[in-house]
Amino acid sequence: MKFQDYYQTLGVAREASQDDIKQAYRKLARKHHPDLNKETGAEARFKEIGEAYEVLKDPEKRAAYDAVGSRYAQGGAGAEQDFRPPPGWDTGFEFHGRGDDEGFDARDYSEFFESLFGRAARAGAGGGPTRRGAANLRGEDHHAKVLIDLEDAYTGARRSIQLRMPVFDDQGRGVLQERTLDVTIPRGIRQGQHLRLTGQGGPGLGNGPAGDLFLEIEFNTHRLYRVDARDVYVDLPLAPWEAALGASVEVPTPDGGVELTIPAGSAAGRKLRLKGKGIPAKSAGEPAGDLYVVVAIVLPPAGSDASRRAYESLKSAAGSDFNPRAQLQGGRT
Amino acid sequence: MSGSMTTTTVVDDTMEFTLVELCRAVRAPQEQVRVWVVEGVLTPRGETPEEWRFAGTALRRARLARTLSRELEINAPGVALALDLMDEIEALKASLRRLGIR
Repeated sequence: MKFQDYYQTLGVAREASQDDIKQAYRKLARKHHPDLNKETGAEARFKEIGEAYEVLKDPEKRAAYDAVGSRYAQGGAGAEQDFRPPPGWDTGFEFHGRGDDEGFDARDYSEFFESLFGRAARAGAGGGPTRRGAANLRGEDHHAKVLIDLEDAYTGARRSIQLRMPVFDDQGRGVLQERTLDVTIPRGIRQGQHLRLTGQGGPGLGNGPAGDLFLEIEFNTHRLYRVDARDVYVDLPLAPWEAALGASVEVPTPDGGVELTIPAGSAAGRKLRLKGKGIPAKSAGEPAGDLYVVVAIVLPPAGSDASRRAYESLKSAAGSDFNPRAQLQGGRT
Repeated sequence: MSGSMTTTTVVDDTMEFTLVELCRAVRAPQEQVRVWVVEGVLTPRGETPEEWRFAGTALRRARLARTLSRELEINAPGVALALDLMDEIEALKASLRRLGIR
């Protein structure tokens, strides 16, 4: 296990005031928040920042961390050296959970964090919403994300997902338990929609019912298709003669290839709509999406004498009336 | 855990949340959701909080609001502004996608 320098993570000095720490955290959190920053790695960085703040914002935890940190540094250990919390290091400190109203959470902390605060923090926070007397309480609702392919939205799919769920053991302590859930993804699902699985959230207390599990659907980026709500877009490269003279070409759709008639005189950027070939309707009465085929024109290279002559004869056939830049002329408006 | 009782539903605009259900689903206290409604973050139908019905798509918005206020410590008017700007960015990204720019 590596020693984590939480001060370095937040970019603050060891003697930084609580205000400095808060300010540094807010700035970094805004920058790396996965809802705001879609770059890969943002989420991992955000977790590190959150964990560092979790410890440093709380004077009790910060003091405990500093004590471990200074003992660790005195040992002459480099940052790469294996870290083990000294035995009995936490005597004299009493942690009061996370200090918010969430109760304990399925949040992923590092092994380092767990070794220092894991059990103490959990045990403290476990007294939150779930341990009030012998009342029958409904379990909490949980959230997770599922990645699917666009094709899955056309056909429906089954996914086996791994969840880490907080549950209570016999002593009433919160522990994380792994479990696998088979989920049916219905046909017609769209990016960003949620599935609600009743009774698959946190367990209830007493005779209280279990909570629900909400799964947010996210599509993998597709090599060919772009998705806009229920509509799907695909680029279709055409040869100039296909676009000019019309043609019949095979176009891929997530549903399989279709034969599409290209009208003569199709310019680049022209959108051909395949009605109802977007993401299908989830239920009768709801419209299906459309598939838009966007025309692109690919010029053959003028590499050979023959193709150069062909371009030359196209030039004379078009005549001097053909001016591709006609729109660029004529004043300010 | 038994899977036999589970029903799977798609959370879309054909379903609605009451105030209590929405609060439970996003783990936010009722007072906070009320403030979000006042600030225009969420627009349920119905007059009084007891009659409020939130469209299924409000779940995503409410989740974001909770994240912004909890993890970034943004106040309710700030959350409202941030969500409006995020909607705008999403709309711009959608038009870029339609044009073939990722």
